[in-house]
Amino acid sequence: MLPDNPPEGFLRIDFDRDRPDPTFNTHIGPLYAKRGTKGTRDEFVLGFRVQTHMCNPTGGLHGGMMMAVADLVGTMGGGTLAGLRKFLPTVNMTCDFVAPARVGDWVEGRPELVRVTRSLLFTNIYLTVGEEKILRASSIAKIPSGDGPAFGKARLERKEAASS
Amino acid sequence: MWVMAWLCSLASLEAQSLICGVSSPSEIPSGFRELTEASGFAAANGPWFEKIENDRAIRGFRPGPQHANALGIVHGGMLAAFLDSAMGTAVWHTLKRRAVTLRLSLDYLGPGRIGDWLQAEGEVVGHDEHVAQVRGRLYGPRHDVLAGLGAFALLSRQRSLKIRS
Repeated sequence: MLPDNPPEGFLRIDFDRDRPDPTFNTHIGPLYAKRGTKGTRDEFVLGFRVQTHMCNPTGGLHGGMMMAVADLVGTMGGGTLAGLRKFLPTVNMTCDFVAPARVGDWVEGRPELVRVTRSLLFTNIYLTVGEEKILRASSIAKIPSGDGPAFGKARLERKEAASS
Repeated sequence: MWVMAWLCSLASLEAQSLICGVSSPSEIPSGFRELTEASGFAAANGPWFEKIENDRAIRGFRPGPQHANALGIVHGGMLAAFLDSAMGTAVWHTLKRRAVTLRLSLDYLGPGRIGDWLQAEGEVVGHDEHVAQVRGRLYGPRHDVLAGLGAFALLSRQRSLKIRS
């Protein structure tokens, strides 16, 4: 596996605290996140280095991987921007595959809040490599009434991410 | 997805020669063949299976803990990847053209349960020389899980794909 060498500010996301088996987000990763100043473009950024286990046989980033990450950016990132600390199940997502990414590329995902209602969260999501957009997604997530199922497991590792 | 349809091309060739090897028949419904030619993302998140029935391709897989999200149900990204592969296969079976996904619109209808046998299939609803419109459906033993509508760019018949080793 290539070293991830995440850019400065990115911390690895630990999705499986106290869980016996790695879940899907860990399985497809490692995934990293960066938190920036509120209201800026970098308020929530998810990032990862494209590894071969994320690719199709020709060495391009697999669309399924792009969608899995976009889903995560929409719910985890969109929820963060909206100040919601619950699990937000996606009910609709539309993805446009704008450009490919290759093994070794550093991919970043950013959510944009479109609207938050009592029960729904509308977000736009872009995945980028450098300045180039590779995926555009539009997503709607359900905001459960009450506390909903807790989504408290995922944590950013406080130590600098070890490059593996 | 850039290459799902390519995987399908291999799958269909084998299916045509009626190879039906199933690794653990007790868990895999009859007629399904493991897609052993998968690599990278598809292999890391498999095994995936396929069956040809009435000239249609049906894909299946049994999600395990590695496919779960924080709620313990199948991750939406996994479902999306799987349905996309089935829809790409449908393009190959119907039009005999390799394709890459341009756009995929998904409606999450219900949870996919870990341990259930999930199936997905696609149907080409229209196409021109460059783009195919595909409807897709992913379902479990009890209810529909995911509905999809996609646009797939049809690759030139001459184009060869370079496979990374």
